[in-house]
Amino acid sequence: MRGTLIFIGQNIRRASILALALGGIVTLCTGSSRAAVADDTIKIGVVLPTTGSESKPGQYQKEGIELAIKQINDAGGIMVKSKGKKLKVEEVFYDDGTDSKKSASLTERAMSSDGVVAVLGGYSTALGTAESVMADRYKTPWITTGAGATAIFGKGYQYAFGSLSPVALIGTTSAEFLGSLMDQGKLKKGLKVAMVVENTDHGTDYVQGFTDWSNKHPGYFQIVLNEKFELGATDFSGILQKVKNSHADIFLSDAHLPDYITMHRQYLQNGLHHQMVSYGARGPEANARQALGAGTDYIFAGIWWSNMLPYPQAKKFATDYKAFTGHDVDSWYAAPAYDGMRILAQAIAAAGSLDKTAIRDALKKAQLKDSVLPGQVLKFAANGQSEYPFVITQNKPGNKVDIVFPKDAATGEPVAPNPNK
Amino acid sequence: MDAVEYLDLLLKSLLLAGVYAAMAVGMTVIYGVMKIVNLAHAGFLMLGAYFALEMFQRFHVDPILGSVLALPVFFLFGMAVHWLLIRWLPKSDTPTLASLLLMFGFWLVLQNIAYLIWGNEDQSILTPLTLSSVQIGQISIPKVNLVVFAAAVFCMAVLQIVFHRSWFGRSMRALIQNPYAAQIVGVDDQKTARLTFGLGAAFAGFAGGLLGMLFSFSPDFGRPFLLRSFVIIVLGGLESVSGVALGAILLAILETFGINIPLPVYWHGWSFHYLPPSYQQVIPFALLVVVLLILPKGLSSLFNRKWKAA
Repeated sequence: MRGTLIFIGQNIRRASILALALGGIVTLCTGSSRAAVADDTIKIGVVLPTTGSESKPGQYQKEGIELAIKQINDAGGIMVKSKGKKLKVEEVFYDDGTDSKKSASLTERAMSSDGVVAVLGGYSTALGTAESVMADRYKTPWITTGAGATAIFGKGYQYAFGSLSPVALIGTTSAEFLGSLMDQGKLKKGLKVAMVVENTDHGTDYVQGFTDWSNKHPGYFQIVLNEKFELGATDFSGILQKVKNSHADIFLSDAHLPDYITMHRQYLQNGLHHQMVSYGARGPEANARQALGAGTDYIFAGIWWSNMLPYPQAKKFATDYKAFTGHDVDSWYAAPAYDGMRILAQAIAAAGSLDKTAIRDALKKAQLKDSVLPGQVLKFAANGQSEYPFVITQNKPGNKVDIVFPKDAATGEPVAPNPNK
Repeated sequence: MDAVEYLDLLLKSLLLAGVYAAMAVGMTVIYGVMKIVNLAHAGFLMLGAYFALEMFQRFHVDPILGSVLALPVFFLFGMAVHWLLIRWLPKSDTPTLASLLLMFGFWLVLQNIAYLIWGNEDQSILTPLTLSSVQIGQISIPKVNLVVFAAAVFCMAVLQIVFHRSWFGRSMRALIQNPYAAQIVGVDDQKTARLTFGLGAAFAGFAGGLLGMLFSFSPDFGRPFLLRSFVIIVLGGLESVSGVALGAILLAILETFGINIPLPVYWHGWSFHYLPPSYQQVIPFALLVVVLLILPKGLSSLFNRKWKAA
């Protein structure tokens, strides 16, 4: 009996050692990218998902922040008056694996034990919400570069900032855009709208923004369906049946990239067609266009940034980004992250010290006047959230994307109604 | 909703059930013979999707054929995993903590290897079938779902024949029914376990290839399907292949219809309400709890009882 137990014990140990060894090898290969800590640097925590379902946007945001850090360091660093010299920025990166609990605990670790002066990150709203509670608890400035829900900034936090404009504005701008098409006679007034949005604050804000505009401008829209879905769902046939039954003319969703691809694939397979289709802030992403081909043509999106913005600094950012990463900046994710880091650097310089409260105070007053974002100025409102206009883009055949709204930034004419059958 | 719309939903549920059954059956056979809850199943599904993608992109092999080719490849891979890791686990009549931890760790390893090889890009397999559909009256049936369903049903039928007509199948069934008696009458449990693990991995790889035609995927792919596989095999009975088919059909129908049928609710009088779509993912888990409470041996035990009574 004893011999059997020893044999079993050895087997368990052997299997465990094998699993641990394999795990160790892979962790060594893919693990944390934390660099060795130097004394004369400014440590900035970056908490983003580079694995899991949000890994792609997380990766883009990480690249945006790292490009800004490289440019700051190439220029000698940030002048810190209390130290009497320029200090280089050192990124301390944490991959939260698209897990909100991990996201919160990594932010806490960065702020409480890893000695960072500020934390950037928090993509998406769910993960940003989880992180947001840490900023005031540890009195450390936190700038979310990927969470745009208003709820985060309605809690009176003093150390939380956001470089994304409120999500509600996507809904408002989308309604304004569709309303302008009705005014131009491209669409008829009083069209029926079906809304299917993610079951998060992001989705709620989107619907709120659209509904607010619609209520203020009676006669334009009639909302006939307003439903929510859980992110990461695999089968949308039930909810799409509801969309079909609603006999809507316009289909508006608010989804994350994987859900946009899955839902629109099933939308097309089910033979659905609407005069206008949108997935909120998603639409022009290369992955979606590769996955669905011409099926994504004429989808419009309300986004925080486009590489077609006519500002010289936006063009330079796109060129620098390509040189830095080796690939084009084909989506909006990197730009708010890039400017989030730049406005933080400006605030550190203005604070003249690495005192976290001084940096917070400087962030409240900061204005990034050569911002690459729409409106060209990034600043934070009293609640910590930035507010700048959105641009509406529309996918066109041949993988082309145009800014179609507002008119002064437009690079092409909007196509309405959707000619795809 | 009218009758045609209900029929439309029913057809889509059945097509979905075919894929669900194919993805869950691999987990079932492994549990039945070895009493191991294969948490690495999601990793095999994910690798199956990448295998079909690589075959499609590099060698222009149709993803359906790629999924079929995954069967022998993943069979050998599964046997290698068994030889390398599983055979060292202590034998047990119930799932052990060591086996759960080992399979969970192995899933993480597979996931990280996939991140190293393919990065974190969302991948998709786009063929002429992907976005086309067959129109029957007012009902639109996606062609790719039809093809995937046919492939899944065909492979399940082959598995059923293997189960009942081959020496290996009889050995598997004997080990499922009574491992000690099976060994007394000469069944080589180690060899059968190795082949069974290979078979389970082969079906996971095959199902992964099929799922890759329906959804976009990344190295994190498989997690929601793993949870559904659990529900299906608990519904179907943890050791029955036909039960898996039954469990898959029930789950798919409930998931699809759950949000489209008004439910009677009593609140200051009777009224009918729809379940919000955001609760769709609650359905499988609510079902799991109910079945575990009422029929802990799964739906197939209901039929077994009836047959025994007859």
